[in-house]
Amino acid sequence: MISPAFALQIFAFLHPGSDWKTLAAAAAIVASCVGLIAVLTKFSQRVRSSAALRLDHFLPFVRKRRFPTGPPALLVRWAHRLLPASFFFDPTTGAEGTLRRLCRKMGPTVLAAPLRRIVQALCFITFLTLFFIVCWPYNARPVADGRVSDGWSFREIDQATGELRFAPAVARASSLFAVNDSVFLATQNQDSPSLPARIVQIDKDGATLLPADPLSPESTQELLLGTGTWTFHEIEPGKWPSHYADNLASKEKLPADTFLILDPLVSISTAIASRSWVWSLISAGVILIVCILIPRGFCGYLCPLGTLIDLFDWTIGKRVKRFRVKGDGWWVHIKYYLLAATLIAAAFGVLVSGFVAAIPVITRGMLFLGDPLQSGLLRGWHLVPEFNIGQIVSILLFLAVLGLGLLRPRFWCKYVCPSGAVFSLGNLFRVTERKVESSCIQCNKCVTVCPFDAIKPDFTTRVTDCTLCQTCGGVCPSHSIKFVERWNVFDLKDENVPATGETAIGRRGFVSLAAGTAAAVAGGAGIATATRVFGANLDNPKSPRPVRPPGSVPEENFLQMCIRCGECFKACPNNVLQPLGFEQGLQGLWTPAVNADWAGCESSCNACGQVCPTGAILPLPLEVKKEVRMGLAIVNETTCLPYAGREACQLCVDECDAAGYHAIEFTRVGTEVDNAGAPVEGTGYLAPVVLPDKCVGCGLCQTRCSGINADQKRLLTKSAIIIEAGDGREDRFTQSGYEHWKKNRFPPDVRQPESPSEPNVNSAAPDVSGSDDPFGDI
Amino acid sequence: MLKLTRLFAIIAFALSAWFAGADEIEFLNGSKLDGSVIAIHKAEREVEFEAVIGGKSQAIRYPYPKIHRVVWSGKEYIVTPKPAPIATTTAQQPTSRSQTEVEKLIAEVGSTPPDWLAQTPLEFPKSLDLKWPKPPPKGWDNQKNVGQYIWDKINPNSARWKSGVKLMEHLLEVNTADSELRERIMASMGSMYFRFFQDYARAAYWWEQSEGIGDIQDAIGLAECFFRLGNKQMARAKLKSAPLSLAKVKLLGDMGETREALKIIESARMSQPHELYLTAGDICRMDGKFKDAISWYEKVLIAPNARNKEYEKRYHNRAQNSIDSIKRFELLDIGKLKDGTYSGSAMGYEGPVNIAATVVSGRVEKVEITGHKEKQYYSALADVPAQIIRKQDLSKVEATSRATITAVAVINATAEALTGTPDE
Repeated sequence: MISPAFALQIFAFLHPGSDWKTLAAAAAIVASCVGLIAVLTKFSQRVRSSAALRLDHFLPFVRKRRFPTGPPALLVRWAHRLLPASFFFDPTTGAEGTLRRLCRKMGPTVLAAPLRRIVQALCFITFLTLFFIVCWPYNARPVADGRVSDGWSFREIDQATGELRFAPAVARASSLFAVNDSVFLATQNQDSPSLPARIVQIDKDGATLLPADPLSPESTQELLLGTGTWTFHEIEPGKWPSHYADNLASKEKLPADTFLILDPLVSISTAIASRSWVWSLISAGVILIVCILIPRGFCGYLCPLGTLIDLFDWTIGKRVKRFRVKGDGWWVHIKYYLLAATLIAAAFGVLVSGFVAAIPVITRGMLFLGDPLQSGLLRGWHLVPEFNIGQIVSILLFLAVLGLGLLRPRFWCKYVCPSGAVFSLGNLFRVTERKVESSCIQCNKCVTVCPFDAIKPDFTTRVTDCTLCQTCGGVCPSHSIKFVERWNVFDLKDENVPATGETAIGRRGFVSLAAGTAAAVAGGAGIATATRVFGANLDNPKSPRPVRPPGSVPEENFLQMCIRCGECFKACPNNVLQPLGFEQGLQGLWTPAVNADWAGCESSCNACGQVCPTGAILPLPLEVKKEVRMGLAIVNETTCLPYAGREACQLCVDECDAAGYHAIEFTRVGTEVDNAGAPVEGTGYLAPVVLPDKCVGCGLCQTRCSGINADQKRLLTKSAIIIEAGDGREDRFTQSGYEHWKKNRFPPDVRQPESPSEPNVNSAAPDVSGSDDPFGDI
Repeated sequence: MLKLTRLFAIIAFALSAWFAGADEIEFLNGSKLDGSVIAIHKAEREVEFEAVIGGKSQAIRYPYPKIHRVVWSGKEYIVTPKPAPIATTTAQQPTSRSQTEVEKLIAEVGSTPPDWLAQTPLEFPKSLDLKWPKPPPKGWDNQKNVGQYIWDKINPNSARWKSGVKLMEHLLEVNTADSELRERIMASMGSMYFRFFQDYARAAYWWEQSEGIGDIQDAIGLAECFFRLGNKQMARAKLKSAPLSLAKVKLLGDMGETREALKIIESARMSQPHELYLTAGDICRMDGKFKDAISWYEKVLIAPNARNKEYEKRYHNRAQNSIDSIKRFELLDIGKLKDGTYSGSAMGYEGPVNIAATVVSGRVEKVEITGHKEKQYYSALADVPAQIIRKQDLSKVEATSRATITAVAVINATAEALTGTPDE
């Protein structure tokens, strides 16, 4: 078993763009997994039973040794040496030690395989932390303005040291700043950048500052030629705010989408549907390699949905017996058919795997059930957006997934989950498996305890279903179960004793296989066709164009790449992003769209792209995100209050200016003209005009107009300024298109540092003859 | 002989360049650099000067108008004489200047373009008729008629103010023949420097150039320029001939000529006197005559027929706010206020002006405008809070030029806030 905390730490390096790091991290995870198996192999005390690989971790050393042959293994000896003797069983009386008694108190499965339960708990807590704490943006606080001292006039420059001398406009008794403070020097001219400097000396008569970098020619000119006063700022003036982006980055010790990128179905189906490289395929590859070493270990140990289902089964499932089903029915292979159907749909370019893949299912469940609760309790219920039909469908689906546990514990994981099916298929290449030795006393304890229905009536293993959780090993009274290399044949129990009644493939099996496969093909193709026909219908210019998050790939690709996990909704401050219902048919269900009537996109936030597991929203840096257009604000000139001549209003302009875009300016409308044709002062209104080259479609203006003029004052039925997406109104590009766009938009700084030029006497010699004054006509 | 002189000069220059740092350049703002003159670009009127600053060598071309003097090869040349110090901010009491000084200031500073003008891009709709006919053709078209373009697009957008001046400069360049038009452009230029930038020297220069072609507002504006530049006599002389107008009375009030202003208001016969009475109240209030102010404001409340109900409501609100805040002033002692943030609201020109004032240990540390509907005259929104913080006394705050209503609203709102209880 791989230590999850370590593995996850390494996954922190997995980030798009840093290829060698990603590959190194992937290699490190695989290597650590191999190392762990090596340690566990050494760890076993059952020297009686030889094996090349050994994964037994059900702490047999805390149990009484039934066949004490030979010395205990190295780690066991160490454990006995380092830990108090009371932890272990008493070798004289055979009484249980404290460790085992504690495990017994916590329940039979903890007693049987404590390590697995610990790993499960850690992963579940990690998942919840990533979702509810890392993706909770509301503890971000804007940077305060800081201290500002104005009215400094520039006096002189010390050419030897480069220090600048300033004098105050009026002598001041005390100063806001002290020696060694870092300040930003700014003029009244807001267009020119401020100059970072350190205070060398300051008193009531003046201040001496040392610029952080050598002066640029522009700064030199500004200092020497300017006549205005300078201001000292503690915080860089005019700096684009970044508190939301910083907040997420500071909390994201692990990628917020760690579990989503670990779910192999997410990246595989996305890659197939969009016919493109999805960077999270790397993590899917890693987890599949790890699962060759520990077959289906993801399901038994890592999957937070599995853990949640375990909790549901433990609290509710075991109390409600009336829905229990007996035996094995047609359902036992649903997962393969679901997997086939989603992959076939993906091959047709329709991504529906997110509806049923394990991690998207639990992420959406947490989003639609947990997030409103979190938001409502911590921020106020009025800040929870209303549910639409799409959300209700998702909640029902999630409850259904849990509810399957009433049929049989972990019904979803065993029979339905298509992500699990990927691992089941991966098990064909397993190098380790569960084996039963001939010492088996056929007590049936292992069959009863197995959570995955992976033990046949003859106590051997259904290898595609076994997750190596090792609970069976822990309950086995005869220590007959071992987890060893696949080709180990040492002292094995006879197969088919007692008879299992199972055949490789019987008539019914064949019929069900044929029917299931046919259903999968038909279903996959059918879903693909249906979503296309009743889908987004992108060829029709009149089809609805939702405003997508900033950095979304082109709409066609977006629908193919968005896995509908809901992670972006969680990370989005103020719920600007909300899930679509059926506006785009099934094709757009649960995809993120901007609801600008509810809230506008924060200028300091780029979270949605950072947490997107598939790259449907590109992880744009903030300085790019603030320039990428999501849409364009369009003023309705028939309803907008000033245009309609109803009253003065400048909500949208103020909002846009405050956000720093300055994309809405005024025009005066309805001016009355006197007889001479001159405008009459005080008549008419100032009305908003959107500047298309500056508007990024953040929607803050719409939020304000809708909130004040429509909801609060009831002057309008809906906002008079609306963000609209569509051709020419938004910047949508694929990863490669983005690189190209960025290069054009943000050219690398080509400015060369000013090279000290030697004064060239010949060429520069001023013409001193012919005129008395070399400066000419002053 | 001539050849010999030239050779000598070149050798002298070479030597001076050799001993880098032998030359000196002094700028108009008083700062100096030691280094060497690399070239003098007579045509561009620029001096290329190299200096080592903090170990880094920089060769930069400086324009003549920014250079006070250059010491080159041991000889001193005065390039641009230093002007008298200029006080341009509105909030401070204007320094007093003699008529000659003011005229010199207008001629020397007013005639030069401001620093930013060269970098300001020229932008205007292609459809604009640069001939600027007067009166404009029938039908309002802000993409064609210059005056309407200024009214609709430039006046309301502070981001376009600089390009507005640039456009006027361009109009002067393209219209060389029509002297009447040129004067109108100059009047407009003066008005822009005055309204947008409170740049009184340049405003006065262009208004004077326009030969008085502008309207009453322009004439009173010029008077105000004289006053702000430091000469009340010139302002008074200019005002004497101006007919009665609100602007005239307000300026007289600003100048401290309370008696004369009130005399004019009393003798005025107007059918809709609300604004005049409000102005009288404001003037008395600024002069510290609170009783008189209250009686003027009360007249507003009973004055007949405002333009319409909406206007009447605005006038009444403003008058009532002022009465309330004057009464509050007498109770208010900032030094005894509890720490905290206080918020208040008062009627401005277009709607309520909301403020939040922060008091820390008996001082108003911050006055923030939290909401307003004012369309123009934003300067009051920055200026008045700065004054309140500096003076720590609401009754001593002066109204910002041409933004009296907004300024008074900010003062009233602050008074309301500080006489209330701090916010939670």
